[in-house]
Amino acid sequence: MARNKLYLLLFTACTAGYFWLFFTYYRVVTLAREPGVCLIKRVTGIPCPSCGSTRSVLSVLNGDLAGALYWNPLGFIIVIVLLVSPFWILYDVLSHRNTLFNFYNQTELFLKRKWIAIPAILLVLLNWIWNIYKGL
Amino acid sequence: MEAQKVDMFIMSNGKYFESYQINGIRERLIALDDSKWAMISTVQLKDPTISLIVSILAGSLGIDRFLIGDIGLGIGKLITCGGLGIWAIIDWFLIMGATREKNMQKIQQLLY
Repeated sequence: MARNKLYLLLFTACTAGYFWLFFTYYRVVTLAREPGVCLIKRVTGIPCPSCGSTRSVLSVLNGDLAGALYWNPLGFIIVIVLLVSPFWILYDVLSHRNTLFNFYNQTELFLKRKWIAIPAILLVLLNWIWNIYKGL
Repeated sequence: MEAQKVDMFIMSNGKYFESYQINGIRERLIALDDSKWAMISTVQLKDPTISLIVSILAGSLGIDRFLIGDIGLGIGKLITCGGLGIWAIIDWFLIMGATREKNMQKIQQLLY
């Protein structure tokens, strides 16, 4: 993927993520309704591996790290991406560098190795089983 | 390379590439040395139809993106429930083109 396409995609995703967070925060606080747009959960009734990550991110924002871990450990990755990537993109665009793009490519190569990929897939599957067990 | 060989390659592998790229690939193959034929004819290309099926069945988990080698985007889709379901639906329409682009990148490494 080209550098600019990646940056545009990541930036759009971050913006959408922030909008979604504000929207959900408003819904949870003022309307006291639980969030949920997950396609898999709506269709099959079974939570998907990333169900609960909105609640997890909201827990982090409230300072409740144990709660975030309970809802979904993937929430921590989302928080880090949401916090870091806009500034990193801004830095790269302003200084005409490719640091984030190179980092992305390096990470892809790193994750393609068998002894990294297989444990990662197992972890995601375990997280999924835990999600179903919790009944998110 | 002989035109007959190249046309055979194009006929059996044309569906793996975008239509506008096929002419370029054909010309490039004809200009290419015969010694590369073994590598060209055995290169593993991804089928766009398979990735579309995977996208419809398991797109929310990002499996389609993992399949064509976009690990980063796959993780992005996986941890956001397929981009809240929106990205998963958009990818039903994009994934075939993305697969063909990946095939083009793969064969370009051999052609140039």
